[in-house]
Amino acid sequence: MAVSSGPTSGPLRRDDGLLRRIVAHRADYAYVLPALVVMMVVIAYPIWFTIDMSFYKTPASLQLRDRTFVGWKNYQTILTAPAFWSVTLNTLIWTVASTFFAFLLGLFAALSLHREFAGRAVLRAILLIPYVISAVAASYLWKWLYHSDFGVIGALSVQWGFTDKPINFLDNIHTALPSLIVVNIWREFSFAMIMLMAGLQTVPEQLLRAAQVDGANAWQRFWHVTAPHLKGVSMVTVLLLMVANFNSFIVPYLMTGGGPAGASDIWITHIYQIAFGRQNWGLASAYSVILFIVMMCLGYFYVQALTRGDKGRPE
Amino acid sequence: MTRRNDPSWPGKPLSALSAAVRTAVITGLAISPGAAMAQEAIDLSKWSPEYVRSIAGTGKFDTAAECAKTVPLDYAGRVSVWYTGPADAEPEITKKFDKEFWEAFKATYPNIAVEAQSIVYNDLLDKLRTSLLGNAGPMVVRLQILGGVEFAAKGYLQPLKPEDVGYTPAEFWPGAMKSVTYDGASYGIPTNNETMGFIYNAKIFADAGLDPEKAPPTWDDVVTYSKQIHDNLGIAGYGLVAKQNAGNTPFRFMPQMWAYGGSALDENSDAPTLKTVGLNSPGAKAALQASYDMYVRDQSVPVSALTNTQAENQAPFIAGQLAMMIAHPAEYAKMVDLAGKATGKDKEVADEVVANMRYGLIPAGPDRRAVVFGGSNIHIVQNEYVEGGLDEMGAKALICFWTSPEWSTKLAWVGSNPGNLRGFQTEWMKERLDTIKFLDVTTSMLPSGIPFPAIAEAPEIMNIIIPDMLQNALTGKMTVDEAAEDAAAKVEALLGGM
Repeated sequence: MAVSSGPTSGPLRRDDGLLRRIVAHRADYAYVLPALVVMMVVIAYPIWFTIDMSFYKTPASLQLRDRTFVGWKNYQTILTAPAFWSVTLNTLIWTVASTFFAFLLGLFAALSLHREFAGRAVLRAILLIPYVISAVAASYLWKWLYHSDFGVIGALSVQWGFTDKPINFLDNIHTALPSLIVVNIWREFSFAMIMLMAGLQTVPEQLLRAAQVDGANAWQRFWHVTAPHLKGVSMVTVLLLMVANFNSFIVPYLMTGGGPAGASDIWITHIYQIAFGRQNWGLASAYSVILFIVMMCLGYFYVQALTRGDKGRPE
Repeated sequence: MTRRNDPSWPGKPLSALSAAVRTAVITGLAISPGAAMAQEAIDLSKWSPEYVRSIAGTGKFDTAAECAKTVPLDYAGRVSVWYTGPADAEPEITKKFDKEFWEAFKATYPNIAVEAQSIVYNDLLDKLRTSLLGNAGPMVVRLQILGGVEFAAKGYLQPLKPEDVGYTPAEFWPGAMKSVTYDGASYGIPTNNETMGFIYNAKIFADAGLDPEKAPPTWDDVVTYSKQIHDNLGIAGYGLVAKQNAGNTPFRFMPQMWAYGGSALDENSDAPTLKTVGLNSPGAKAALQASYDMYVRDQSVPVSALTNTQAENQAPFIAGQLAMMIAHPAEYAKMVDLAGKATGKDKEVADEVVANMRYGLIPAGPDRRAVVFGGSNIHIVQNEYVEGGLDEMGAKALICFWTSPEWSTKLAWVGSNPGNLRGFQTEWMKERLDTIKFLDVTTSMLPSGIPFPAIAEAPEIMNIIIPDMLQNALTGKMTVDEAAEDAAAKVEALLGGM
């Protein structure tokens, strides 16, 4: 609830001047000022510091105060390095595949659990386990399931005669990234399921019944009635998944550390290695700024999706 | 390739520097202040398991009296120190000596207030970096052998040499002194040093048709043995470790590279300049080829080697599924511990593995026998970066105490060795040799130890570029030649300031 503390000439709209709106809501702003100050210190300053650092060379043999200004050279180094493009490709594959399949699996699970059936609550609880389990625990669990010499999956595949020797999931440059994506999908589909189950509650039952009366089959009812109602929540879910996947660190870092030979290296693990492995803070900062810009673009679309329809609504 | 620098190769001449250093050590010990109390000077040229046993227990040392010459025992002051103390999982005796050390220091210097923080190994460097940026560092810090160089290069550390706390450089291993020397100046004092050993399962050797009482003498033999074990028994031969950004990888690969005559820079030479790159040398390529042969050609090592650290080798070894690995002196205690926790059929297997566990010297190569010279060093932080300012006398009192023959031995009880060579003459060293199995074998590797290059870029070279080189070759992403050339180019670029 907004608490206006000054005279206003009629209801304020979004296209009113910022200053006018601040004056009109000065008490509100006063209430949130302490939080804003804290956010400036813990969020805005680090962002500024990172952007500033991205223009400096910071060799391991010098203190940060002895850094040297190199302009856009760090960005140039990144964009001309072959590793950047392979890491970017890995990041895109990781993000898109994880998001797409987690969403698809979540949608399937949500639709399945939307109907009443015996044991639904138990099944829903079971399907939530991947989401609530610690990412660190899940990573180690899957690491041992996948283990190239003594993994459970490999042992079963040999025992059941599918393969002659254990499958090499994590120590092969062709299978490492897909194997990690499977783990990520397993971890994230529950989130999509919860979001979409909430979205399904908004689909009017009368519409579905009317469509059924009109002779629409199950696919037609889904496509023409359910799907349009899920559009908003789907967009938010996909955007949140994409943001989370772009920022994924725990699963790839703990399971492969970006290896073997960089096969599962994504932006975050790469930045971590440059910063904490190589102590090259300037280059790592430049990488982080690039990632920040990408995240801001996604954030823009996320806010757009969330505030769709808000424009023109009186405050 | 020539065979030199190793006693196991016939006709091996002692390198000029080794001979000079050994002479210096003998001479230095004879004139060092503490040596007056020792029964006999240590002669590194005689170093062998028998020699280590023969000198143990021959000396008596009075720590308080030695340190009083540097800092009076009634000195009043304070000292703050960060180090990696014993973890919960470590043996009780390690915790006991750690506790006794602080009690003894307090008893000796009752007027020096101590603020000691034990910080886990993986966090210490990052925490120190952060605190130094805010001028909130401790006065004294003990770091792993390679950790101090970065801080010395950045100007955070105060010059510190053994003489500053009443000892002489000759009382410490030459390799250890190299590790605290940056740009010609000394920035620390070694507290403890260790070299790894080659561990193998004698029963697996016998089952595979190998001599169960003889470790592979050369790295070429490791390749052959590993294949023979894998082909005959269907289990992994050698516990290759090639994970990226993991310290375990260079600790196991560099001995192999040095043995074949390769190097990262020229750290294996008698007078390293640390300016020339050796990763694309024939020796380096030969070592990489040997790893490639085991992993790709023979498939005689764990497939998981690319994601394994040494910790992942322990389970297959105790389960009798891995025959050979390079590990610390404390690995035997670890295996005994694992066997104690096993149950049922697993326990039978584990007990059998422990009974058949053998330690040998790290294999030699065409060029030499080599091992990474490991350990820790203690440093003093420059006054301007210390929270509350530096009390130099307080810091020196603690360092003298820590690096004394007595405490450098007791604090290295299970997993290392005294940094102060006179520690080998103490009664406690004798007790260690009597109670810790295979300690004499791993200790006898010390003269073959080579420290990693003491330059600020060393962590990136050792923990990232070299593991990358291994992975590029072992995954088939590059040929052995390409991987070596790629790694060399990366090091060149790094040293060139890229």
